[in-house]
Amino acid sequence: MRILIVEDDPHTATFIAKGLTEDGHTVDRADNGRDGLFLATTETYDAIILDRMLPVVDGLTVLRTLRGAGNAVPVLVLTALGDVDHRVEGLRAGADDYLVKPFAYAELSARIDSLLRRRQAPSAETTELRVGDLELNLLTREAKRAGRSIELQPREFRLLEYLMRQAERVVTRTMLLEAVWDYHFDPQTNVIDVHISRLRQKIDRHHPKPLLHTVRGAGYRLGVRE
Amino acid sequence: MRVIASACVNRLIALLSARSTSARLALAIAGLFLSAYLLLGAGLYYAVSQIFAQDLHEVIRLDSADLVEMYRESGHAGLATEISERTASPDDDNAVYELIGPQGRLLAGQFATLPADARNGDGWVEFDERTADGVVRVVAKMQKLADGSKLLTGRRSRNQQRFEALVQRTSLYALLAAAGLGGLIGWITARWVAHRLESTYDITRRVGAGELALRIPEDDSDDSFDRLAKRINAMLDRIQELLDGVRHVTDHIAHDLRTPLTRLRNRLEEMRTEHVHAEQFTAELDAATAETDQLLATFSALLRLTRIEAQTAGANDPELALEPLVLDAVELYAPIASEGGIVLDAQTVPCTLRGDADQLFQLVANLLDNALKYATRGTRVTLHLYDDGDAIYLIIGDHGAGIPAVDRERVFDRFVRLEEHRGSQGSGLGLSLVRAIAHRHGGSITLEDNSPGLRVRVRLPRAEVR
Repeated sequence: MRILIVEDDPHTATFIAKGLTEDGHTVDRADNGRDGLFLATTETYDAIILDRMLPVVDGLTVLRTLRGAGNAVPVLVLTALGDVDHRVEGLRAGADDYLVKPFAYAELSARIDSLLRRRQAPSAETTELRVGDLELNLLTREAKRAGRSIELQPREFRLLEYLMRQAERVVTRTMLLEAVWDYHFDPQTNVIDVHISRLRQKIDRHHPKPLLHTVRGAGYRLGVRE
Repeated sequence: MRVIASACVNRLIALLSARSTSARLALAIAGLFLSAYLLLGAGLYYAVSQIFAQDLHEVIRLDSADLVEMYRESGHAGLATEISERTASPDDDNAVYELIGPQGRLLAGQFATLPADARNGDGWVEFDERTADGVVRVVAKMQKLADGSKLLTGRRSRNQQRFEALVQRTSLYALLAAAGLGGLIGWITARWVAHRLESTYDITRRVGAGELALRIPEDDSDDSFDRLAKRINAMLDRIQELLDGVRHVTDHIAHDLRTPLTRLRNRLEEMRTEHVHAEQFTAELDAATAETDQLLATFSALLRLTRIEAQTAGANDPELALEPLVLDAVELYAPIASEGGIVLDAQTVPCTLRGDADQLFQLVANLLDNALKYATRGTRVTLHLYDDGDAIYLIIGDHGAGIPAVDRERVFDRFVRLEEHRGSQGSGLGLSLVRAIAHRHGGSITLEDNSPGLRVRVRLPRAEVR
């Protein structure tokens, strides 16, 4: 996948670029808003990582210009401004996701994967999700593993649905909180871990091949890969 | 003398062109005062003059009618005799008479003292008469008699003239005195105001330059200057308080971030110098990463806390229902409770307030997290959400170790962690954040004894029903 990084801090940019290259992406870089906008409009990218505070032209202006020109490329905005107001402003300007600095690379990587996936397979009119022998019917709200039905609480259902939509991708605890609980907050303890382990009990117990994996230092992954 | 005069003029110019409001005000008041005085004087002068003139005319008219009557009774000769007599030995020094023949010849009266052109008039005439003691204004009535001769009856308006001169002289002196006095009062006012403002100006300038401890002297007179001084001093106190707060927080941050950073650095150094085998190396790396994550989390929490503290309770916040939010948080923490063998018991009612959903969720989450962390296994953690018609209360109680009364205020400070909990997970910012969120929503938080354990009472203002 081809990704554009618009970030004025060379350290951060190099760090992100290195990680994305190792993940198998092709990366272009710009260190100010004007160059970033130029690249974004003249080249084709699968995703753009855009710092909010940039020299020459600021990030949100770049974003608004792109969206105004009908460019729908997925954009992840990086920022040191983490207020809800700032987040709302960023999302209104057309950002697909919003990540507050400082962040762990795993968080960025997971979010980029999620953005790229969203683009590839728009969540359209899917009524059934399937990962290995795990099935989730979105209409009947039924979950089955190897044909055997699994009892799920409503929240567990949403959690599993999200994990299955992001199958084989790493999702971070923050992503889960935002997507499943719909609150932007900072859990003091790993409250998510307990929910995951409960879900794991329900879907992986009695099965030799676990589907819900813990990814060290990053989060979780649901998938058939070990 | 010249030097003093020019200094005065300069002073006046300075005063006139002064940017100081007080000087302009003083000048305006003095000007207004003088105008009012002039208007009053002129009015009075005019009114009195009118009365004098009317009296004079009345006297002349009566006198003239008297003489005309005499002419009718005793004829031309009688009248001439009468006038000659009156002129020779006047009852009234100011009386003027003339009898002029049809050819314009003076038959009787003050021939010598009257100007020639005064005889040509008809009806009411006024003219100046030159006398030994100067020019006197004469008002007279010219009356045509039946035989074609003319009778002039008049009065010298000496009294009126004296009055006018007196008024003019007095007015001039009074005007000069008033102008001087007005100027003096204006000058004193301006000086006083300037002096009062000077110290305020000077102190604020010096505080701005860094002398933060200085305050404007207050005289407790409670006039507007004193109130201004008090306001500014209160503001300066607040600034100092904030700066002290920043200093205090910076010290804490330096200490609390330096400790884990040092630990991290030592760990990395050990990995470099000591020969650790691969398995241990990975474990060490993981530990170092975890430490870094913890640092980043602390840092984010700190930034968030600072931002929330800088916000003010806004009427712009959307109205939101607190109950579902609280229930979401309860649901999020329920598994942790059951793992710890704790019963999480929530009793809620619908209530509405204005606020930020994410922040309020953080508040409830932090309090639940704390309660569950410190509650004793097998006990009950209770959450009550109710609205007493005046405010919304969120009360969370646990049966854990509780917090000693002496520490109940201190635990809200940044990075304060009670000794017995030092080992456990947490940044020491949780309660600081809770309090900041409560304050930012116009609420308050108190810690109470739950005997045993801790009870946290959060009071939040309810949304005004519209």
